Amino acid sequence: MKREKPSSSGVVDSPLDARTQVKAREDGLPSVAEGRLRTYEPGDNRGRFLDLLAKRISRPLAVSMTACVHCGLCAESCHYFLARPDDPTMTPVWKADQIRKIFKRHVDWTGRIAPWWVKAGSVDGDEDLNRLKNIVFGTCSACRRCTYNCPMGVDTGLLVRFTRGLLTELGIVPEGVFNVSRDQWETGNQMAVTEEDYLETLVWMRDELRTELGTDDVDIPVDKPDCDVLYTINPREIKFDPRSIAHAAKIFHLAGESWTMPKWGWDQTNFGLFSGDDRLGAYVARNVYEAAERLRAKKIVISECGHGYRSTRWEGYTWAGYDQTRPTESVVVTVKRYLEEGRISVDPSRNTEPVTFHDSCNIARSGDLVEEPREVLQRVCADFREMFPNRRENFCCTGGGGLLSMAEYRPLRLEVGKIKADQLRATGARLVCTMCHNCVDGLNDVIKHYKLALRVVQVLELVSNALVLPASGERTKQSS
Amino acid sequence: MSDFLKILENEVQLAALAFLALVYTVRLGWIFRFKTRRDRTAAVGNERAGAGYSLMNVAMPWAMESTRKRPGFYAQFVVFHIGVAAAIAGTLIIPYAPGLFEIRPVVILFQAVVAAAFVVGLVRLVRRLTNPVLRRISSPDDYFSLVLLIVWFAAAVAALPNRPEKGEWPLIGYFGLTAFFLIYVPFSKICHYLYYPFTRFYLGRSLGHRGALPPKGTKGRKTRRAGEDAA
Repeated sequence: MKREKPSSSGVVDSPLDARTQVKAREDGLPSVAEGRLRTYEPGDNRGRFLDLLAKRISRPLAVSMTACVHCGLCAESCHYFLARPDDPTMTPVWKADQIRKIFKRHVDWTGRIAPWWVKAGSVDGDEDLNRLKNIVFGTCSACRRCTYNCPMGVDTGLLVRFTRGLLTELGIVPEGVFNVSRDQWETGNQMAVTEEDYLETLVWMRDELRTELGTDDVDIPVDKPDCDVLYTINPREIKFDPRSIAHAAKIFHLAGESWTMPKWGWDQTNFGLFSGDDRLGAYVARNVYEAAERLRAKKIVISECGHGYRSTRWEGYTWAGYDQTRPTESVVVTVKRYLEEGRISVDPSRNTEPVTFHDSCNIARSGDLVEEPREVLQRVCADFREMFPNRRENFCCTGGGGLLSMAEYRPLRLEVGKIKADQLRATGARLVCTMCHNCVDGLNDVIKHYKLALRVVQVLELVSNALVLPASGERTKQSS
Repeated sequence: MSDFLKILENEVQLAALAFLALVYTVRLGWIFRFKTRRDRTAAVGNERAGAGYSLMNVAMPWAMESTRKRPGFYAQFVVFHIGVAAAIAGTLIIPYAPGLFEIRPVVILFQAVVAAAFVVGLVRLVRRLTNPVLRRISSPDDYFSLVLLIVWFAAAVAALPNRPEKGEWPLIGYFGLTAFFLIYVPFSKICHYLYYPFTRFYLGRSLGHRGALPPKGTKGRKTRRAGEDAA
C-alpha cells in the first residue's frame, strides 16, 4: 500500500497488541478453540483479508464503495474533523477511502485496470492491516452522522463496521475489542459478570427497594415464566450502576407490571455491533430472544443502552436469522406508555435542575427513538432544554463504536470531545440526560476532561425521582 | 455541413451511446451480483416512504445539515447539473430538432445555463485544488472528470448556436467531446448517477423500516434554548 503522509493524531501507528490473544489461545478458551473467536496468527493475512472482502460484500456496501464522488461534504459532519480541521485524515471520506481503495483494486473494474487513475490500492501485509485497524477502530465512532449528511447516501458507518468485521476475523483488533468479545463469548455478557454476582446484585437492589418503599411486595423476579415483560440489561448496571435496575424495578412495581429478568440471556448489549462480528452479534442476540421464548414472555424490554437497543431491537434478529415474533422495545417507550395510560404518576417539580438531553447515535440515527425520551422528560422535569444540534443531528458522546474499551485511542477521543463539550456547555444545563450507558461513560469523560459543571443522568433516574407514590392501599391494589 | 460532421453528430453519437448503454448494463449486472439481506424485524416505519424520502434528498437541501448550512454549495450543485442536462439536450437538439436553436432566445438561454455551469465547474476545480481535504482525497479521475466537463461546457457554449456555415470547428469540438464523454463516463466518477438510486434506496429503505426516515414531525415541541425563560 502506498504510504500517505501520516496523520498528526499518532493513532494510525498504534502497534497491534496481541498478548491477551496469545494467552487466550494458551488457556484453551472454548471460544478460541472452537474457532468462534479468531486470534491473530502471522501468515497470509493479506490473502485472507482480500478473500473475506470479496466474499462478504453485500449490495448496499458495494454501492457505498462505488458511489462516493469525493465532494468532501461529509467532513464537517464529523466531530473528529471539526475538532482537528487541519487534518484531512479525520474526514469520513478519507477513512472510508482506506477500505474503498482496496475494494477498487481487487473487486471493482476500473481499479483493476488502472489503479493509479482512481487511487486504488492494496495492502502489503500485516503492517498495512494494522494501520487500517487503527483507522477504522481508532478514528471513527461509527456514529453515522456523516451518512446522514452525504448527498449520495454513502453509508460510511456501515463501511467502517464491515471493515472492522474483516479485521476481527484476522484477530487484527485493539486489545480491548478482543477482551470484551472474549468475555461475551465465554460468559454470555461483555463484562464477565458471574451468575452469582448477577443474582446477588438483583437481591441487593430488591432489598434496597423494599426499604425505600416500605413494603415487601416489591420484587425483582428472575426466570418467572409467562410474564408480560422480559427485562434485559447492560452488564454495566450490575457492575457499576445497580441503582438503574432498582429504578426500573420501582417503576415496574408501581405500574403493576408483570415482569421478570432472565437468569441467562439478560445481556442486551452486543459487542458484535462494534467489532463487526456478525457471529458474535447473532450469538448474543439469540441468547436474549431464546430467553424470551423459554420464559414465554410477551415482550422484550431493553434497558437504557444505545448499542444494546440497536443490536437487540434492530440488528440482532437479522444477524441471528431469527424472525421477530414478539414486540421488542426500549424501557423508555414502556415508561412513556405508563405515563400516558396513567399507570404511574409523576411530579416534575422533583427534578428542578435544568436538564438537557443527549441523543445516542445508535438510538436516534440507527434506530427509531427521538421524540419518545423527550416526551418523558417533558413530563418529569421542570426545566428541559435542548442542546443544539439535537436528535439525528446530535454529535456522538465520543464513546460510541466501542471506543470506551480501546485505551490506546483515548487521547484522540478526548481531544475530539471538544465538540461535545462545547455543545454541552452552551445548554447551561446542570444535568445531561441520556438513554445509553455507553454515553454515560463517554459524557462523563468529556465532562471531566473539559471541567464542565454537569452531571450525567438517565431517563429512569429522573422518572424515579419524580414518581408520586400512591397510598399503600392503592399500591397493593395496583400490584395485584 | 460536411459529411464528417454529419456522421459525428449522428452515427458516432449513437455508437457512443450504445457503448454507454452496454457498459451500464454490464455494470448493473455487476451490482446485482451482490446479495442483500432480508430485514427480519417488525417495521416501525415505512420502507417505501423512507426510500422515497431518501431518493428525493437531492431536491431537499433542508434535509441535510451539510447542504442546509451551505446553500451556496447546493446552488452550485443545481447550476452545474442543470448545465449538464442542457449540454446533453444540445447534443440531441442540434441533429434531431435543429429548428429549436433557430429561435435566438432559446439559444441564449441554453448558452447562459451552460456558461453558468462552466463557471461553477471552474469554482469547483479551484476548490478541489486549494482545499487540503479535497486535495488529499482526489484521484486523477476526479480532476480529469471535472476538467473534461468544464471543457465540454465551453465547447457547448460555442457550438449551441449551431451555425456550421460559419465554421464547423465548434460543432466538431462539441460532438467529438460528447462522444469521448459517453465512452469515458462509465469508467469514471461521472457515472455516480447510476449508483445514486441504489445508495439512496438501500439507505432509505433501511432507515424507513426503522422509522428514522422520513423524520417524524416535531410539531408542538416545548423546548427552550439555554437562557430562555424556564417558566
